[in-house]
Amino acid sequence: MLTLRRGEQLRARLNAACRRYLAIKAEPKAVTVAESEYSAEPEYPAIRDMSFKGRKLQSAAEWHEEIRQVPTVEEKMIKINMPRYYGYKVVDLNDTKVPFNALPLTQHYTRTVLEELPPKQAEPGEEKVDLDATVKVARNDIIEALEFAHDCYKHQLTLLDTPPDAVTREQQLTQIIVEQINRSALQVLSAEYPHLNEVEIDYNPRHEAFWAVGGVDPPKNVVKSKKGRDWQKADAYDSVDRLVQYTGEPYLALRHRHQLPTWKTPEESENLTLANQLPRYKHDARTLGYSTKYQHAINVPGYWPSVNAPNFGMLSFQSRAHLQLRPQACGERDQLEALHALGIQSSYAWLLAQANYNGFNTYNELTYPLNTQTVITNGREWSFYEYQLNTLLVHGPHVDSNARVNFCRGTAPQPLYAEISPEGKCVDFNDGTLRQLLTLYINAPSIQRTPDELMPYVSGPTLRRAADYENPEQREFLERTFKHLASKRPRHLELPEIYMWEKLYKIDNRTRAMEARRRFFERDINPWKRTLDQHDKEYVPRALRPGGRKNREERFKKTYYP
Amino acid sequence: MSTRWYPIYQRGNPQLRVFLPNFWMKLVRPTEEQPANVVTFAVSTEMTKHDVKNYLEKIYKVPVVDVRTRIALGETKRDQTYGYVTKKDDVKLAYVTMPKTEAFTFPDLFANKAEQQEKEEKSMDESKAGFRKFLERNKKRPGTPGWYSI
Repeated sequence: MLTLRRGEQLRARLNAACRRYLAIKAEPKAVTVAESEYSAEPEYPAIRDMSFKGRKLQSAAEWHEEIRQVPTVEEKMIKINMPRYYGYKVVDLNDTKVPFNALPLTQHYTRTVLEELPPKQAEPGEEKVDLDATVKVARNDIIEALEFAHDCYKHQLTLLDTPPDAVTREQQLTQIIVEQINRSALQVLSAEYPHLNEVEIDYNPRHEAFWAVGGVDPPKNVVKSKKGRDWQKADAYDSVDRLVQYTGEPYLALRHRHQLPTWKTPEESENLTLANQLPRYKHDARTLGYSTKYQHAINVPGYWPSVNAPNFGMLSFQSRAHLQLRPQACGERDQLEALHALGIQSSYAWLLAQANYNGFNTYNELTYPLNTQTVITNGREWSFYEYQLNTLLVHGPHVDSNARVNFCRGTAPQPLYAEISPEGKCVDFNDGTLRQLLTLYINAPSIQRTPDELMPYVSGPTLRRAADYENPEQREFLERTFKHLASKRPRHLELPEIYMWEKLYKIDNRTRAMEARRRFFERDINPWKRTLDQHDKEYVPRALRPGGRKNREERFKKTYYP
Repeated sequence: MSTRWYPIYQRGNPQLRVFLPNFWMKLVRPTEEQPANVVTFAVSTEMTKHDVKNYLEKIYKVPVVDVRTRIALGETKRDQTYGYVTKKDDVKLAYVTMPKTEAFTFPDLFANKAEQQEKEEKSMDESKAGFRKFLERNKKRPGTPGWYSI
């Protein structure tokens, strides 16, 4: 038997490989080649940036593309949550806290240009006469509603042993006032403005939105870790992304099937110089007084995903009760800025959540603008905001390069009435404020888009929601996972805890060298890095197992994570 | 203010005494970057936000908008010889927000440290050189006092 030596073996293998390669190369020559394969100008594939930073950007872009490709709305949200079992660390924006000097941060985080409007004067023309008549009709109704609300709440307070605190009192009273005013406004206007008949009303809906913001200075530990590596020293101070979660509960929100008309053209919305002039809050949000928490990325505009429902926000009434808790020393100017910040945050978050139900998210850019109107009120003072959402990209390099900006225009708070007299009568009712409120109601949602135009990133007409899946098991799985994420219930597997004695005697000072290292922090396990699908699968009892009792392959239920 | 506990009253001690609270505030350099109108203080753990605000406003006339506090865990250290663990006291950190118009930068206390050191080294070198010269001159007559010759 002929035994080849090692070198000869290798040579033989190389020869074989070369022959095969040549054969493949030669093949196209033999067959006729379509002319179109060749072009006069050579077309090379794009040169990829193979530096560390370039690869990082590339992999991020690939992940964003993966999210875009995911077919249904629910799955997209699960996909965003896949990297973290215990949720992301997010900056907690909410409607119960606006710290001092929060406007620059708000504008940076939402990429919003703010235009302060003077209180609206009556516009000349036919519209004015029209509205004048309506205001006259609505006026008495609303005064009566106001008096009723105050009377009603005064009575409610007498029934309580201990009166609630000032914030709760304001919230409860304003809830009654807003509901009553909304009722009478709809009553007066709906005959003349048919779109109000199709409006869906949410009482105390849940508005939540998640997004990523770039251009924030890195925290100390990141700088330190990068400075410790020679090849990363130069990038130690590169800005990082921050994840943001807004949580709010307006008094009332109105939704409609169609979208509100836009008030900025696409040309106006795309302005890089304007985008670069926006304030940039580079410090950590905690330096202002915002807090951080761990939670899943959740987008909820007040309802669950559904097709052909009133999916577009028209008007929301936000609370300003918690502004009472701000220190007096903030001053009037900052109070106004806090209202603006609240208006911007709530409008942006609601629109982002709506966009999310149409398949967009913080990583996949909007293809059409979205509009909404927001009212911030405590029953007496009313401020009115209009918001146009043009872009969702604020993360990573987009914070510098994205030319699109969002717009918000709003007024300072105006009183609807001066006071309620001790006899329960409304004093100095302000028709101007009422007129402005009614103009928000009569702003008819007129933009209607085809489903394909509305949801370009959602699979197709037969598959838009998780409910459209044929497989019942998959449908149930997605529904359950989605609702579980949105419920904010703690995960089944609790986060492991580090006890104080362990921190002192095991982590900070290694005093127990002889002990077995069994705890997660001794085994280099970071529990926060656990991914959403890292859990035991559900067991299928033998009696219910498809393929018979002996089928070991399917003893665990399938999972359908995107 | 006082930095020590007052002795417990004993019979015969003077009756009229003014008790000052055990309050102190120490300006510290922030570990993370902060806006210019935020100042960090290490304060006595017994001080509340209101105490910090009043302390700054009433005594130092500093305009204060908001105060946020937290208690930082004291550092632990292992004894080099015996291996037991010791812990420093916890300290309350107060983040004081001033109006937007105010700005505070932590003073660079050791900006001219290098310059000072150079100056000191120079004078040290000079005196060393003088001594060396003296030794050189008195090499052949050891034990001569410094004042003996010109």
